[in-house]
Amino acid sequence: MEGVHLILFWLALAAYGAETGFRLAGVAPASWRRSPLFVGVLLHAAFLGLRWGLSGHAPMAGLFESLTVFSFCCAVAGLILCRSEETAAAWKPLSILVLLPQAGAALIDKRMTPLYPALDTPWFASHVGLSFLGYGFFAAGLSFGIVFLRGGGDAVYRAAGRSALYGFSAFSAGMVCGGIWAYYAWGPYWIWTPKEIWSVIVWIYFATLTHLKFIPAQEGWPGWTKRLEMGATAAGYGVVLLTFLGVSLLLRSSHSF
Amino acid sequence: MKALWRFLTSLKTCAWAGVAFCVAGAVGSVVMGSYPELFADMDAQVFAGWFARKGIADPAPTLWLYGLLLATALFAANAACCTFERLVQIFRGTATMRRLLPHVMHLAFLGVVLSHLVSAVYGDRIPGVAVPQGGFAPVGGTGWVLRLDRFDAVMAPEGYPRDFSAAVTLFRDTTPVARGVVRTNEPLFHEGYGIYIKNFGTTPWGAPYAVFDANRDPGATAILAASLLFTAANLLYLFPARRNDA
Repeated sequence: MEGVHLILFWLALAAYGAETGFRLAGVAPASWRRSPLFVGVLLHAAFLGLRWGLSGHAPMAGLFESLTVFSFCCAVAGLILCRSEETAAAWKPLSILVLLPQAGAALIDKRMTPLYPALDTPWFASHVGLSFLGYGFFAAGLSFGIVFLRGGGDAVYRAAGRSALYGFSAFSAGMVCGGIWAYYAWGPYWIWTPKEIWSVIVWIYFATLTHLKFIPAQEGWPGWTKRLEMGATAAGYGVVLLTFLGVSLLLRSSHSF
Repeated sequence: MKALWRFLTSLKTCAWAGVAFCVAGAVGSVVMGSYPELFADMDAQVFAGWFARKGIADPAPTLWLYGLLLATALFAANAACCTFERLVQIFRGTATMRRLLPHVMHLAFLGVVLSHLVSAVYGDRIPGVAVPQGGFAPVGGTGWVLRLDRFDAVMAPEGYPRDFSAAVTLFRDTTPVARGVVRTNEPLFHEGYGIYIKNFGTTPWGAPYAVFDANRDPGATAILAASLLFTAANLLYLFPARRNDA
């Protein structure tokens, strides 16, 4: 069974690769249900479910599992937000954002390891799962931002707004779960480490972004335009990457891999 | 006065507070690693005590914290004034109740900030209470004494702990006031304090010992309630019908 679940991982990677190849070649599927990406998501879900069953814990510990869940959440966010004809152009950049973490995971040791006791709680799975779902929506935001900056479009603009709002909502709920978990596991619900600080930076960044949408209607802000808003939505993914990978890999952190 | 109110209710203020917070936090995350001797004990005591001692004594490397606190205060004032303004509009009938939902999130955010302030000032941190099995150790200045009745650890073949737990009794003078089993993710709570197991080992004479932390966060329950309120309002806000013109 252990070998089977990894076959599903590789098949999902191949499907994501096919999707990216088709998109870069300018070939679009007739509908999202017929896309290799949709097949990839189904295979990926089966892989994660099987791994969860085999290891006995949510597959969200360590760099391999984190990267593959990140990839899965990016794909799911895309499927939720990017189903209309107007927003289909966002699949080109988004398919790359789905493929890269999965390809990165492919290079890492895939062995299942037992969970450290402190991680053995539903709050851990909720915290990590919701945070990654937020990251997935923010990745979709980058794609919509790029598409809008290149060609505009009201549907893309609205989808980008939804990506920030949905991402912010999922990420906020993830932070609440993380706080509850920390309170029961270690005592303080908050500690001063770079990872925690950057998590709040991501939260404040997108909280502010969801507010700025209302500025033009109210009073205007020097230079605050739809284009700048889309640029900020796209740049948010950079903040997310710094939080997820930059802080964990470069700085001493409570969430180091 | 009008200009001050406009400043406090403005979305521009929210924007600049957000930018200031992100910049101060980003700088701080790097500075913390450059001054480990300064920041290492930040979590070993409540924030207000640490900041009063080190933030004022050595302001240069802690300047980012001043920025972070100022930005948070500005955010909180901005959210409070914005919500007050909306409540006045609703009271006067110039805005509908449907437009209240984001302000429930504002109020929840304020609840989190204020409750965290309470924990940061009136909380307590007692790290590193080491007790051998069958032995006693005082728990900081609480007047309690902790006895480790029994320690159990389940080790994986690879050598790391799979599960560990400690049966403990808490005494005031010679009277037991609380008794329970402490394990990872399952602290023992008594009179606002949580007793957490942090580490374990074997004494030179072969007896097992466990190390505990005791923490008191008087704002924690309020933070949990405010966080859940925020999440609930946030979920409702995701329904577009409730979001129109919010």
